[in-house]
Amino acid sequence: MAKTPVSWTEYKVLEAMAKAGVRGGPIGEVASRIGVPESTLHSVARLLEEKGLARVRVEEGERLELTERGQEALREGLPEEKLVKLLEEKGGEASIEEVRERLGREAGVAIGQARRQGLVQVEAGRVKLTGAKPGLRQALEAVAQGRAPGGALGELLSRGLARRVKIRREVLELAGDPSSLLDRVEVEASRLTHDMLASGEWRRYRFRPYNVGAEPPRVMPARIHFLTDFIEMLRDLMKEMGFTEARGPIVELELFNFDLLFQAQDHPAREIHDTLWVEAPPAGLEEYRELVERTRRTHEEGWGYRWSPEVAARLVLRSQTTSVSARLLASRPSPPIRFFTLGRVYRSDVVDATHLPEFHQLDGIEGYSGYTFRDLLGTLREIFERLGLQVKFKPAYFPFTEPSVEGYVRLPSGRWLELFGAGLFRPEVLYMAGVDYPVGAWGFGVERLAAAFYGISDIRLLYTRDTMYIRSFPVRVV
Amino acid sequence: MPVVKFKPDRLLNALGVGSVEEAGEVLFRLKCEVEENPEGLVEVEVNPDRPDMYMLEGIARAARGILRLESGWEMPRVRDSGITLRVGEAPSRPYIAAAVVYNYRLDEDTLDELIQFQEKLHDTIGRRRRKVAIGIHDLAKLPSTEVEYKSQGLDTRMKPLGLDVDVEASWVLENTEQGVKYGGISLEEGRHPFLLAGGQVIAMPPVINSNITRLEPGTRDLFIDVTGTDARTVAKVLDVIVSTLSYRDGVEVGLVRLEGAPWKSTPLLSSVKYNLSPSEVNNVLGTSLTPEEVADHLSYMRHNARASGATVMVAVPPFRVDILRSVDLAEDVAISIGYEDLGPRLPHFTTRGSLLGETRLSRRLRELLVGLGFTEVLQLTLTSPKLASLAGGGVRVRNPVQEEYSVLRPSLLPGLIAVARANLHRDKPVKVFEIGLVARPSGGGIVDELMLGLMVMDYEASYEDIQAPLYSVLRLLGISFAVEPTEHGLLMPGRAARILAEGTVLGVLGEVRPEVLEEAGVDYPLVVAEVSVDKLARLAPG
Repeated sequence: MAKTPVSWTEYKVLEAMAKAGVRGGPIGEVASRIGVPESTLHSVARLLEEKGLARVRVEEGERLELTERGQEALREGLPEEKLVKLLEEKGGEASIEEVRERLGREAGVAIGQARRQGLVQVEAGRVKLTGAKPGLRQALEAVAQGRAPGGALGELLSRGLARRVKIRREVLELAGDPSSLLDRVEVEASRLTHDMLASGEWRRYRFRPYNVGAEPPRVMPARIHFLTDFIEMLRDLMKEMGFTEARGPIVELELFNFDLLFQAQDHPAREIHDTLWVEAPPAGLEEYRELVERTRRTHEEGWGYRWSPEVAARLVLRSQTTSVSARLLASRPSPPIRFFTLGRVYRSDVVDATHLPEFHQLDGIEGYSGYTFRDLLGTLREIFERLGLQVKFKPAYFPFTEPSVEGYVRLPSGRWLELFGAGLFRPEVLYMAGVDYPVGAWGFGVERLAAAFYGISDIRLLYTRDTMYIRSFPVRVV
Repeated sequence: MPVVKFKPDRLLNALGVGSVEEAGEVLFRLKCEVEENPEGLVEVEVNPDRPDMYMLEGIARAARGILRLESGWEMPRVRDSGITLRVGEAPSRPYIAAAVVYNYRLDEDTLDELIQFQEKLHDTIGRRRRKVAIGIHDLAKLPSTEVEYKSQGLDTRMKPLGLDVDVEASWVLENTEQGVKYGGISLEEGRHPFLLAGGQVIAMPPVINSNITRLEPGTRDLFIDVTGTDARTVAKVLDVIVSTLSYRDGVEVGLVRLEGAPWKSTPLLSSVKYNLSPSEVNNVLGTSLTPEEVADHLSYMRHNARASGATVMVAVPPFRVDILRSVDLAEDVAISIGYEDLGPRLPHFTTRGSLLGETRLSRRLRELLVGLGFTEVLQLTLTSPKLASLAGGGVRVRNPVQEEYSVLRPSLLPGLIAVARANLHRDKPVKVFEIGLVARPSGGGIVDELMLGLMVMDYEASYEDIQAPLYSVLRLLGISFAVEPTEHGLLMPGRAARILAEGTVLGVLGEVRPEVLEEAGVDYPLVVAEVSVDKLARLAPG
């Protein structure tokens, strides 16, 4: 038979009743016998009744209580007691006048009661003590404590010291012997605790079934930023394809950001509204003397203007990570080479939903003595196919590459996103750097692709300060 | 990139295609993007290496080659114009070339297109008129065949375009839009270059033309001048214009005789010749084309090319400015073939990839910190002067676009305080970290350094709340370090420390000063730390 679930308190009450051998009775009495507060027992009794383990019945009855006079007598003494006390003080007798003076209005009642109880005699205007203690006090005390006053009941009532009042009281009757009831119940608990396990008491418990479909409180984990996830995925991809990671300064010489990339010094991209300069004295070019000389010659022959080393020495916030590729080339690595860099670049753009003043760019270079444009296109296609993106190539123009290509990738929405620029470095660039084998290069902005990847329409959200946005960002498994 | 606009029917007719989509597909292969704008015009984005394609005739010529409708180019019919151009002293803008284009016959559409052509040339190859500027005149209105170019004072009188009264040049510089915009380019010691015919000013290059020779619908023949600071570019731009306009049937070119110039007459209509070996193309593209195939492709790209034995004889047309060497011809071959049809292939050499030490370390740091309950934030390295000043100020951008992004952050800590400010209402504690670059002046230059920043915000937050996770991370990385009290502008005295390892300062940690918090509007205590990831990467045992 299924056991009846009870609460821990209900269980404890049954247990106490079994121990005390109490099967029922007025709740007040039961409560005092088993040492439980009466209020607690009232509610437990009702719960036990709901579970069919007990019956609670209401009994009509009466009980004695002290009147105000009775309470006063209990507190300050009965009039006859006051008289006895006075006489004892006076050595056994006192005149009626003295008694009247001391007891006032009560003097008559006191003398009358005392004589009736045989405590005093009145002779010749004097009251003499003759008897023992008055008997009514015990009866008063019994009523005050809720006990029966015995034979003095009539006197208490007739003297107006006590009265009868009607009462209702709840009587608890268990549905069986408390010990047998204990076997029919089990305690219901919401949580399994360390204490239950440590004490072994878990066996006594029944673990209430939950509404397992109910919504829990919302919790969000501490997280790695979702843009970092995307960036690190790109780094892994490049490493997987055999590329070595490199890094270059964000504050860069124009020499590496522009000149070495065959961008003429009067090229529009180098004007005030496209390039960000920093407040710093121009750097020295001494360590790049040979590079500077070749750069001057190449620019002056190629573009027909007077090349200025002062311009090349100015410091800019790099506008493209191709500056890192330029530095790599100038270090003349032995072929075959595969390098990539992923870092911040800076633009003169006003911040809006599609523009940031800085963003990440990934640049890669690849080369060896037999490297061709078809190899470059193949590598580009491979990179984006590994990202799950279809690529479309478009002929393009960049000052530092020839042939040049722009790449579009097809987003899941079907839209073609213009993403990357690429090409074989021009012979002029290779000459300036001092490299004698063909090198392919490409670069693309990470944020635009990341925003498309995550379905974010406002690029500023990638740099939110709201930690909950980051912690609650949906996960993309890639 | 330059965008030129045309009426759709004019573009489609010129190309010989039936729809804008078709035009778009052809022009995509020629580096262009095509779009219809809300005004019903077709916008063509052209790459700046093809200035000949800023003009409808140039676009049509290139597209009809790709479409295999035409090939090669023809030297225009040239005759003597009878005009003499005497070149005097114009030190601020020494070079001028000129030509006549006969029978061009302007109507309203072609006038608009011609002016668009001129403007795009100005903006790109002309470097906004500094390097090269173009004046186009109605030949019939030229007051004389004796033309002179020289510098004169600003009291020279002229009728500026759009104004039929004589004014002084100084007035033009001050009171016309072009004068204000371009008046400073060639003004030198109160003198400015002028172009005169029969003693009358017909242009004030590079600012404005004269009203006397203005173009209008109905103009039949054009007199074109090109002035500038670089002789080669001046002559080249004139070649581009003349050889593009003369693509139209019936157009002829008139030579202008020059005196005192590097050339006896212009336009030069110069054609560079190449004796190209197919291997110069094949080695770049990864193809194995025969001389005949190379010649065919170059012809469709509108070069005159023919196979001659093992080589290809190429004559580059005068309208091309972008053919500097054989690799540029190789690109033309690739474009003619089509990049997709070229057959992308994977390079067949292998290399071993690797990541930087700081990249690998950053990944470990992120795992540890997320495990310690920290969430990563990313912020820009450009910040406001106010935030940067919390860390003593940073390297300033000389020409910022927005004040809010005008300083390179010198530390991650001000940004983390800003993050705290943005998360006051979030459940506490708020625990974040950032791994990012900061920049500082160093040894006469500016260096950037990769840093790790940590921040904890709570109802109560004390030194230990940042010390414990930081020590945990450093010790797990195997870094032996020491800590000593320090003073720091952001951190409470007596509750700030430096972390030292192998004689270098790794970073700081401590409780943020209450006055800083109050100023930042943060009414919860913050504890922060910042350590150098670059230094950790060097110290952490591999």
